[in-house]
Amino acid sequence: MNPRKLLALTRAGIMESLHYRLGTFVTLFANLIYLVLVYYLWKAIYASSGVDVVNGMTFTDTMIYLILATSLFNFLEMFVVWDMSRSIQSGKIILDLLKPLKFRTYTFWSYSGSHVVSFIMTFIPTFIIVMIITKGAIPMGLNLVYFLISTLFALIVNFNIEMIVATICLYTESTWGINIVKETIVLLLSGASIPLAFFPEKLRAVVDFMPFRAVYDIPLTILLEKNGADTLQGLLPMFGFQLIWIVILTAAGSLFWNCSVKKITVNGG
Amino acid sequence: MEKKKRGFSFYADIYRKILVQDLKTKMSYRADFIISTIGMIMVNLSGFITFLILFRNFPTINGWDYYHMLFLYGFSLVALTPVQCFFDNNWNLRFMVTSGDFIKYCFRPVNVFFYFMSEVFDVKGLGQLAFGIGTLIYAWAHIGIPVTALTIGKLIVFLLTASLFMIALMNAAAATCFWIRNSGYVMVIMFRFKDFAKYPSSIFSGIFKFLFTFIIPIAFIAYYPSLVILDPDNVPLLSWLSPFIGILFFWLSYKFWMLGVRKYDFTGS
Repeated sequence: MNPRKLLALTRAGIMESLHYRLGTFVTLFANLIYLVLVYYLWKAIYASSGVDVVNGMTFTDTMIYLILATSLFNFLEMFVVWDMSRSIQSGKIILDLLKPLKFRTYTFWSYSGSHVVSFIMTFIPTFIIVMIITKGAIPMGLNLVYFLISTLFALIVNFNIEMIVATICLYTESTWGINIVKETIVLLLSGASIPLAFFPEKLRAVVDFMPFRAVYDIPLTILLEKNGADTLQGLLPMFGFQLIWIVILTAAGSLFWNCSVKKITVNGG
Repeated sequence: MEKKKRGFSFYADIYRKILVQDLKTKMSYRADFIISTIGMIMVNLSGFITFLILFRNFPTINGWDYYHMLFLYGFSLVALTPVQCFFDNNWNLRFMVTSGDFIKYCFRPVNVFFYFMSEVFDVKGLGQLAFGIGTLIYAWAHIGIPVTALTIGKLIVFLLTASLFMIALMNAAAATCFWIRNSGYVMVIMFRFKDFAKYPSSIFSGIFKFLFTFIIPIAFIAYYPSLVILDPDNVPLLSWLSPFIGILFFWLSYKFWMLGVRKYDFTGS
């Protein structure tokens, strides 16, 4: 695959998202308000509990975790399901399928531009603000590099989940319903609504085997250097977990897609 | 007076007719309907699981115990039902404005806002209502609030009050699309803020207390109205005033929405 071809898609995506700059600023602003809400809520929760550390998480840890999870959520958010159902309705999908590129590759790279923009314009500013508010509670070192690598893996896992769900939509013709089920499951089981460290043990044992953890919990755990992520022995299983799921989901996803693409029926187009 | 009454029955009749058509359309996509209902149940279930996990780790939040918090949670769910059931078409507003389909609403001899909202009745909201009422009754029984005609009456009035705030918030968020292109994120963000309605707003202080009471009124979606039932001996003044503030917010959002409609006429796109 010619990388220049793919980077052209990234560039087009960047230009397209820069066109809607206002959206980026509003998202950043909303992240700040969200930050305030999370701050006050968890401050009250920790103040009521009377202890500083709950399940290995301090107030600052929890706050950083939840705010950056929201910020990652905005960064990773893809509208594959919506876009695909709309392009099936309008017939545009035929043009995408005819492109001299695998459809999955094309979709991934055409979203990459908006990921780049939202990472630079919303994630990094939010990250800096969190740094300032917590007075540098995020460890600064090699963990930042590991975090970036793991976020990249998270992006691929998330893309695969999105693609599989979008493929399911080809059969059900229900977009809203399937999408909300996916979003709810991913947000709950990935630790984006409440850190996985707070989950009861039995539930945690089940969630630990699921791919959703690879999307938010692992990158954030690596960033905060929890669960032994500051040593190589702790780090490798986490990366391994992400990689295994990338392989499984990519294989399953493309198999499922290749079988299902024959079923697409477009009226008119 | 007589004339005004006829006006109401006229609108009620139209609403019923449009509603029947909408339900018929929904029923023809049965799979979508079932999956969407399952999706809605999952959303509520996941909210509830988050709540349980939180309380497993922290027994009280800012002096509020489990059952009082549960009451607040149920209260917010019921208060969010009207916006889900009757004002769901707000989510389609931006597509209609962009595509130009919105113009059809301006040509009817009925109120534009009324006609637009009457077009969609979201049945999924009823599941949430059932979930909310169940939670409310359960918490009510455990707290031991006396069941009298007066408390039930108060509950209904203040539930309606609370729902006015959420309706106002979503109307205003949806109406931004008349000015900003691609403004979906404003609605998504506002819709996410509502998740914080289920926590006691006494956790906020200073300027943010003001912000979350009068600018983004999440404190009114459950906290202030429910205090009338939960703590009848010292109800804050804002709780008693909330029905009037709610009507004011709704009226303002309606005016803002209609201002957008008038602007839309001018562009004539």
